[in-house]
Formats: sequence, C-alpha cells, structure tokens
Amino acid sequence: MNRRTFVQRGLFGGALLLFGGGGLVLYPTRHLGSPTKPLRVLDDRGFQVVIAIAARVVTAPDADPILLAERIDESLSRTPPEAQADLGNLLGLFENALPGLLFNGRPVPFTRLDGPAQDRVLESWRDSRLAVRRTGYHALRRLCFVAYYGDERAWPSIHYGGPPNVGGFSHDDSKAGTPELLAAQDQKAGAP
Amino acid sequence: MTKLSVIRKSPNVIDGSAATADLDLSADVCVIGSGAGGAVVASVLAAAGISVILIEEGGYFSTADFDMHEAHTVPKLYQEAMQRTTADLAISVLQGRAVGGTTVVNWTTSFRTPEDVVEHWAKKHAVGGLHYADLVPHYEAIEARLSIHEVDESTMNRNNRKLYDGCKAKGFAVAPTRRNVYQCMQTGSCGTGCPINAKRSMLVTLVPDAIDAGARLLFRCRVDRLESAAGEVTAASCTLIDAAGYGVTGERATVRAKRFVLAGGAINSPAVLLRSGLNEGGLVGTRTFLHPTIGVTGLYDEPIEAFYGAPQTAASHAFAHRGDDVGFFMEAAPGYPVLSATAMPGFGAAHRRMMETSSRRTVHIALAIDGFHDDVPGGTVKLRPSGAPLLDYPIPPRLWEAFRTAQRRLAEINLASGAKEVTTLHDPPVTITGEGDLGRLDAAPWEPGRVGIFTAHQMGGCRMGDDPKSSVVRSEDLRHHAIKNLYVIDGSVLPTSLGVNPQESIYGLARLMATRLTAR
Repeated sequence: MNRRTFVQRGLFGGALLLFGGGGLVLYPTRHLGSPTKPLRVLDDRGFQVVIAIAARVVTAPDADPILLAERIDESLSRTPPEAQADLGNLLGLFENALPGLLFNGRPVPFTRLDGPAQDRVLESWRDSRLAVRRTGYHALRRLCFVAYYGDERAWPSIHYGGPPNVGGFSHDDSKAGTPELLAAQDQKAGAP
Repeated sequence: MTKLSVIRKSPNVIDGSAATADLDLSADVCVIGSGAGGAVVASVLAAAGISVILIEEGGYFSTADFDMHEAHTVPKLYQEAMQRTTADLAISVLQGRAVGGTTVVNWTTSFRTPEDVVEHWAKKHAVGGLHYADLVPHYEAIEARLSIHEVDESTMNRNNRKLYDGCKAKGFAVAPTRRNVYQCMQTGSCGTGCPINAKRSMLVTLVPDAIDAGARLLFRCRVDRLESAAGEVTAASCTLIDAAGYGVTGERATVRAKRFVLAGGAINSPAVLLRSGLNEGGLVGTRTFLHPTIGVTGLYDEPIEAFYGAPQTAASHAFAHRGDDVGFFMEAAPGYPVLSATAMPGFGAAHRRMMETSSRRTVHIALAIDGFHDDVPGGTVKLRPSGAPLLDYPIPPRLWEAFRTAQRRLAEINLASGAKEVTTLHDPPVTITGEGDLGRLDAAPWEPGRVGIFTAHQMGGCRMGDDPKSSVVRSEDLRHHAIKNLYVIDGSVLPTSLGVNPQESIYGLARLMATRLTAR
C-alpha cells in the first residue's frame, strides 16, 4: 500500500490527490497566525488550515486556535510518516478551492470563508457520501478535541474536578496483594 | 519482597535510549514485547533459570509519570499517542506501548477465556494442543499473583451502577466484573496508568519478577526484523528509540538467542513477521479481531462522574450468543475529558453543549464478538512503506447488525435506569427520550465515518492451529510451523476473538505455554 492510498481510496484517484497536494490555487491561503515555535510536521499552509478548522471545531471562549494548532502539530509528530503525509493531503483537500467548488460549489479556500460557511464545509464533509471525507472530518475533529480538552483549563466547563488526590501513596512491591506476601505480613503483625 | 524502586535500578535494566554505541546482546531466549504475553513468558523462563532478554519498544514508566492527566500520559503510554486507527480511519485503536504493554493502561477487567470458546477453536480451527483443563491451573496461579477477584458491588461508580441496575430492570443477565487490583483507591485512572500501583499490571508484577530472577530488560528498543538462516531465527535486529519515544537515536541493537518468543500483540507481532519476510503461507496478519465497540451516552438529572471510580465493574454477557447473528457484550467506559470529547459527536457549539453535561452522562459500550461467523473474518495487518503496521478492517453487514441491536439494548438499559435522554455516537447524533423513540435508533446510519467505533482488544493475526495451511503457529506450544526456534505467545495467536476482555486469557495461555517451553 503506498502513501497515497488513504486519499485515493473511494475518491477520484490521483486527480483528487493532486488537489490535496497543491493543485490549482485560485486564491492564496489566508494567514491566520504564526507558530510560536518551529513546526514539526505541518507546513505553513497546513498550519493555517488547522488554525481555521480548530477555530470552528472548538468554540469555547477561552480556546486559542493557534495554540491548538501547535499542539496538533506536536501530536502528529507521534504518528507514522505515512499518516502525517495523509493528513497533509487531507488539509490540502480541505483548503483547496477546486475540490471545494466540486463538492460544495465554493471557489474560495476554506481559510478565506466566514465562520458559518466554514461550518457548512465541515458539515458537508461529515455528511458526505464518500467515506474518506467523513472519516477525514473525524480525524480533524478528533485532533482538535485532544488538543483542547487535554488542557486542565478546559475542565471547569465540563465539571471535571481534575485527578483525585492520592496523597503521594503508591505500592512499591511487585508482590503486593499476593497470598504469599499477605501471609508474611500477617505473621510479622503477630496475627494468629 | 521485591521493591519496584530497587528493581528499576537493577543492572539488568537497559535503557536503549541511553546507549551511546550499538548494542550486541545474547541470551538463551529473546522475548519481544513486555505486555500480557511477554512478561508472563519472561518471568516463567527466568524463574526456571533460563537466561532471558526482554525487549520493549516503549518506555519504562512509574507512578511518577502517572499523574492521571491525559495530555501527559497518553503520548507516553499508547501506540501512536492513541491516534492509531484502521486504514480507513473508521475505527480508533487503543493499544498500550510501554514496559508492561497494554496492561499498564487497560481498565483491569479480568475474565478467563470462556470454555465454549476454547472448544470452538478445537472444532473449527484445528486447535488440538490446547484444552480448557490445561489452562485452569494457570488461571488460578495468575489470579492469585495478580489479586484478581470479583468486584464488591458496593464499590461501583454511578456509571457502572446505571448499567448494572438498567440490565437488572430489563431482565438482562449482568454481573460484577473481576479486576486485577489490590487496595484500589478508585481513582478511575486505570487508563492513564495506575497512580498508586493498585493495578497489578505486568509493569509492577511479572516484569519485575523476571528482572529479579535474572532476566535483562532492554526498553526503548524496536525490533525491525528477525534475521533467519536455515529455518532458524538467528538474531533480532533492532532500532533504539530516543527518550521521548518517537524518534530514533541512530544506535542499533542486535540480540542473539537460541530461541525467540514474539509477544508484541495482535498488530505488532504480525508486523515483525512481515518485516522479516516470514510469511510463506500468506496467513500472517489475517484474521485480526478487535471486539469492535460502539457506545451510547445517557443523560441523567444527577451527577454520574464517569471519570471517577473503577472504570469497569459491571458487565453483561446476556447477548454474547446470538446464533447466526454476531453476539456482543456490554460494559462501561471511563469518561476522561479527552476520551469523552473525542467520542462525543459534533463540533462547535453542539459538541460543547454535550461536553458541558458530560459529568451527568453515562458512557456505556457494546463490544461485538468477531470471528465466529464465516462472513465476519476480521481485519488484516499489513505494512506501510516505512514498515509501520497498518490495520485494514472492513466492517461486514453482520457486524453492522450487531452494532444496531447492541445500541438499542444500551439505550433500553439507560432508559430503564432513569436517563432523561440517550444519545448515540453517530455524527450527527440520534437522541431519544423514551421507549417510544427506540425505532429512531434503528433508522440511524451505520457506515464508516458516520458513527464512532473503537477497539481496545486486538486479537489474532498469527493464529494457532495444527494445520500449517490454516495457521501460523502450532497449538501445542505456539511454535512457528516452519521456524523451529520461533514462538509467538500473545493475543495474536487467538483464532477468534474471545467474547470477554482479553488480558487474563493471554496471561493464562502464556503461562501454560511458557511452562511447556521450559520443559524443552
């Protein structure tokens, strides 16, 4: 299986991959923010698209799409190179005007649409007859939520009080709880 | 007494990320993978005085790392930082990657393999070398060693209690689970590494036992391929992984041994064989089973707080046997923030509204029992060009039917437990508020990418059996049919899924087979 398989599966083959990988650019991607540290996986265009997606997927008032995009870049660095390439193609497909025109009748890149129009694009991917667009939507959505809800600042809004306090306790014996050790402990404590 | 803090500093523990030159090691037996299969094998062999090297790709973590925070722990403890999916992205794959393997992050549910499943293997998959009675003493030994015992019903959290009470109200058989814990403090954080070592995972039990008995542990070391000549494996050729866990150091390791035991689990063991070119019969990686899992969430007036308390303390196997239809079993899942957020459907304001009520929501799951029907043949592990494994798992119609039926049962259970509404994990979701709406669930779309599907149980891919034409390893000792010093001892040898959470099945099978191996 080659690295293009994901985007090609169930789609229009190489032509669509071409759109994802670059294709015909009618309008340039809108610049939405700069990373505060070097990116590991995303290129600048992909980073802008991720910012735009994160801003619509996570709408909490305290959500910072640039920070989320940086975290997404970091989490992508933990996936195999082929998955990183697939994601790059997926973002290209999301952004590119020509597939946008094909699928949604929009000749404008995703980053240049207004919020409600971006939501409609997300919904069109979610509801697509093409499985690859639906699962692509979920992959992008998932990355955004991992980046946002992994941060403790998001927890009060969901009434999660954070990890319980265990008072620094932990078992430090590989045989804790075994009949052998329990019997030895009983004997030491003078139990009958 | 075997203090974990002392064991960690043993000269037998080798951190591959710290090696400044290539490593060349040898032993009687090289065990690849330190999870439910490999840790058991290493401990049994080392106790018998056999020299063992235990190789693990992941890191060697401790309670100092287990701060119960998903953002900190998930990248350390899960394969691909929990981003592993099937090839079409339709199924999320939860699988551990650490010393101790998935046992470090599982939810502690411990069942023996059902006897009828072992009988099914004998009848349908030519498994002649393994009988349920052979396994029983090994289950007993493991249960004593790992403190496996039935949950006290009074300790169920509300998420499990709703499942339990709902099943009772509907007349569905349900029972407390059994867990491998000792003095559990009910933090609920089993899935991110037990912060107090109450969970008796391989990390804190049999891996230390093995090291204590003289086995060497080489962690941050990935086996690229097994080198073989004249029908025998001669060495494991490995890449050393950096301390962060995702890059390589540039140094390599070669491990030579008389025998090799592959125990990387149902995705990584087939991948090692495929990378090694050891797939003459073309069976490696096929018949991979997942207990594919769907869920619902019930919304209640009172707090549920599914993020606290032991994650799985009730289970229903009422629908495990459905004849021509695929069976399923039902359990609860923990409601950690990230896990919940990724499971809940939608985006933007709609998703936020669901998350804002997540502390009043149950998370109940149904796990389909795949592999028992001819037209439910499981998935296939292949290799990506980089050599990383890729799992393809097409979902056949019979599985979709099981999902549909299971979802309805889960909804009924929640309504019977007092849920004011039940929402599916479809996107967009289907929400119902009463029994009269149940028909709407049946109309929900069941296709890849329209509904959340997960797996935490990977099985198969190197199946055992007595016929080399239909199996990869022999059932009597799990030795490779063609390679006479290569064994596969982990969940990948299972010819079907199990119908129960797999960890104890793997412990028992591994202990039996390791005991047989020591006699050779």
